Amino acid sequence: MSQLQVKVASIQDVSAGVRHFTLVDASGGELPAFSGGSHIVVTMPAPGRTYRNAYSLLSSPEDRAHYEIAVHRQPQSRGGSIYMHEAVKVGSVLDISYPVNLFALSRVAKHHLLIAGGIGITPFMAQIHDLERLGGDYSLHYGFRSREHAAFADALKGRVSQRAVCYDESLGQRMDFDALLRAQPLGTHVYACGPQGMVEALVATARALGWPEHHIHSEQFLAPPVGEPFTLKLSKSELEITVQGDMSMLEALEAAGVDAPSLCRGGACGRCELEVLGTDGQLQHHDHYLSDADKASGRKIMPCVSRAKCGYLELNL
Amino acid sequence: MERGYWIRSKPVYTALLWNDKATAHAVLAEGEGGLAVLKLFQQALPEQPITVFYSPAGADKDYLPALQAAVDADLRVFETTADLMAAWASYLAEARMGLRIYTTGIEKFMWDVAETAASFGILNQDVMKELTGSLARSVYCVHCKSLTHEVTSNIATCGGCGRKLFVRDHFSRRMGAYMGLMVDAENPGEVPQIEEIYP
Ligand code: FES
Repeated sequence: MSQLQVKVASIQDVSAGVRHFTLVDASGGELPAFSGGSHIVVTMPAPGRTYRNAYSLLSSPEDRAHYEIAVHRQPQSRGGSIYMHEAVKVGSVLDISYPVNLFALSRVAKHHLLIAGGIGITPFMAQIHDLERLGGDYSLHYGFRSREHAAFADALKGRVSQRAVCYDESLGQRMDFDALLRAQPLGTHVYACGPQGMVEALVATARALGWPEHHIHSEQFLAPPVGEPFTLKLSKSELEITVQGDMSMLEALEAAGVDAPSLCRGGACGRCELEVLGTDGQLQHHDHYLSDADKASGRKIMPCVSRAKCGYLELNL
Repeated sequence: MERGYWIRSKPVYTALLWNDKATAHAVLAEGEGGLAVLKLFQQALPEQPITVFYSPAGADKDYLPALQAAVDADLRVFETTADLMAAWASYLAEARMGLRIYTTGIEKFMWDVAETAASFGILNQDVMKELTGSLARSVYCVHCKSLTHEVTSNIATCGGCGRKLFVRDHFSRRMGAYMGLMVDAENPGEVPQIEEIYP
């Protein structure tokens, strides 16, 4: 993965558990251009192990001097977000990947319906910059648990209040997906980012109402679930690697110096797919990339989020 | 010649089938497409509202009485296809997501329906098409860029430049037409036998 070096220029706590980082190029240059919806993968060299988490860029894509990300401290985190909250200070230098966009706005959409839940607002912050600049027709619906969890409600109010509707769950305000989707003009594309349950409900409602698949866009960064340790046998390189319970297969491969491709690190993009040659146990698929048939076949696995309950798992790698 | 612009084969058409996941249905038919609409209404009807646009233009038979009897939906009949297309465009302007689109008739009609829908952000692949009536092709002359409609033979005379065009199986979705290439470019005047192959 080609890397950039950035320095933390400022840190701000924007809402309960959400910390906002402004990053600049470590050598003072311009950062690579990106489009709204892009994310970067931040490498976090914690003592004993390295974490790599994907975060959406929320700054203006026109601003080449800064990148901004927001990190939600995940209480059940395996350490990545805790590292960002506790170990990273103003002046810290971080390795990040080049921006990648797996959640791009459609060029043919007549209207963009943006649906954000909680920290899922971040990719939309950058997309709104693009839409405003290009004069795109859009509306944003942003739900959060309570005012103190509404990381960017005030920023939105100032910028695009007539386009944004906020839903404060603590006041009983909830999005009605069915009514919202039925009201959309022909040619609308919907984009959802937020908690898994919300995204899945939205996608299911859109499908049930007959939205064509390519009008439905979603992004969730799944954290790899913890499990039990097991051993990876790599048939080509003849290596044996232990995957700890709180590590993903991908992280274990990387820690062992194996060149394993990845992009989203959240089970969505398909880039990390590996071929399974055998196991003495059960694959535990957590991605939403493989089809049910692929999952059932036991021949493929997405190591960024999936693992196995087994003694060993043999990969064609 | 425009590369990557033509698909190598002619489009595949299916029989119309209701799609149950929808908020509304629009069926657009011309001429012999009336028969396909009658068949469609023999299937179990979806729950959502249905609107049928029909223009008898080009029909061999009068399907109107049968349609009026069988179509338990909002049936709108137009004397000309141009009137139908104008009504279709204003219907689309008011339509909401979840509309399913079905069209049947000759190729040119169906591609006009799809192109109007495309201007409202609906992809051509989401318009279900059943070819009925004539297999006549619209042909796009790659030399003078004009379109000649209702071509039923392997070799057509271009309505724009008068060249004799060989009708290829390469189809342009954007124009809803097949590629026409001059047949006697190498040996002027040497035109193979003209056969009616798209009756
Ligand atoms: S890296 Fe995207 S699915 Fe694994």
